[in-house]
Amino acid sequence: MNLDLERLIGLHDLDVMIADLDRKDILDREKMMGLSPEKAREELITLRTEYVKNINKKWLGLYNQLTKHYGNAVVPAVSCRCTGCLTRLPTAMCSDPERNDRINTCPTCSRIMYWAE
Amino acid sequence: MEGSSLKYSAHCVFDLKACSRSDVLEELLELMPLNGNSRKLIHGALEMREQAGPTTISPGISIPHCRSILVDDLTVVVGRSTAGVPWPEERVKVMILFISPVKPDGPHEHLAFISHVASRIKKSAEAVLNASSAESLLELLGMEPVLGGVDEP
Repeated sequence: MNLDLERLIGLHDLDVMIADLDRKDILDREKMMGLSPEKAREELITLRTEYVKNINKKWLGLYNQLTKHYGNAVVPAVSCRCTGCLTRLPTAMCSDPERNDRINTCPTCSRIMYWAE
Repeated sequence: MEGSSLKYSAHCVFDLKACSRSDVLEELLELMPLNGNSRKLIHGALEMREQAGPTTISPGISIPHCRSILVDDLTVVVGRSTAGVPWPEERVKVMILFISPVKPDGPHEHLAFISHVASRIKKSAEAVLNASSAESLLELLGMEPVLGGVDEP
């Protein structure tokens, strides 16, 4: 898999964790279980700052734009459809055995896509 | 979902070989139906979550977890180490590792599972630590073994 693509997927999951720890329901539940979600959230934000330094600026810029616009920048392609906008993708894109070796974006919504293999 | 009788499916490694937190995560992730890249990425996410704050919820019990776009369903693996593993400040004997999917309707499944685990641990933490078999451990946690072994990714 393309290294930038791996890092963007990792960034997406990291952002989900940070966003989850900002939700009152999750925050309350984790506190009740004896965890320290506020501290963990702060730490994750610090880790994120370091993590993004390793991502190509071009892709990071696109990721940030897409996240701002849609809420999610990276989506899996399933059955040759973008799961972000549900548009059918070009067959050539889906049938390419090296489709995860580069960064592909949905021709319709521009979200960054990967194929779960 | 609090204290529910709902049973979740889980894999279980009753006698973990790993001696460090990172190796435990790797050993448990091996049971999940993931390909190599997804496993590596999820391992990274779990490590980051633990680095941000250990997920020990009761003495000897931890819940390494994350939500990821790399899984389609809630996936659970329970591990148990006889000697315990440094996590890193205290020794953990039982690990309930779970990965929840990222769905458009939010983390409801994730919250429901956390509630389920919380109620089970509150009720029987001591028994969980002293379970004598994988079956009894899963039973105490309100889980049942995944049938058919490891799926091919």
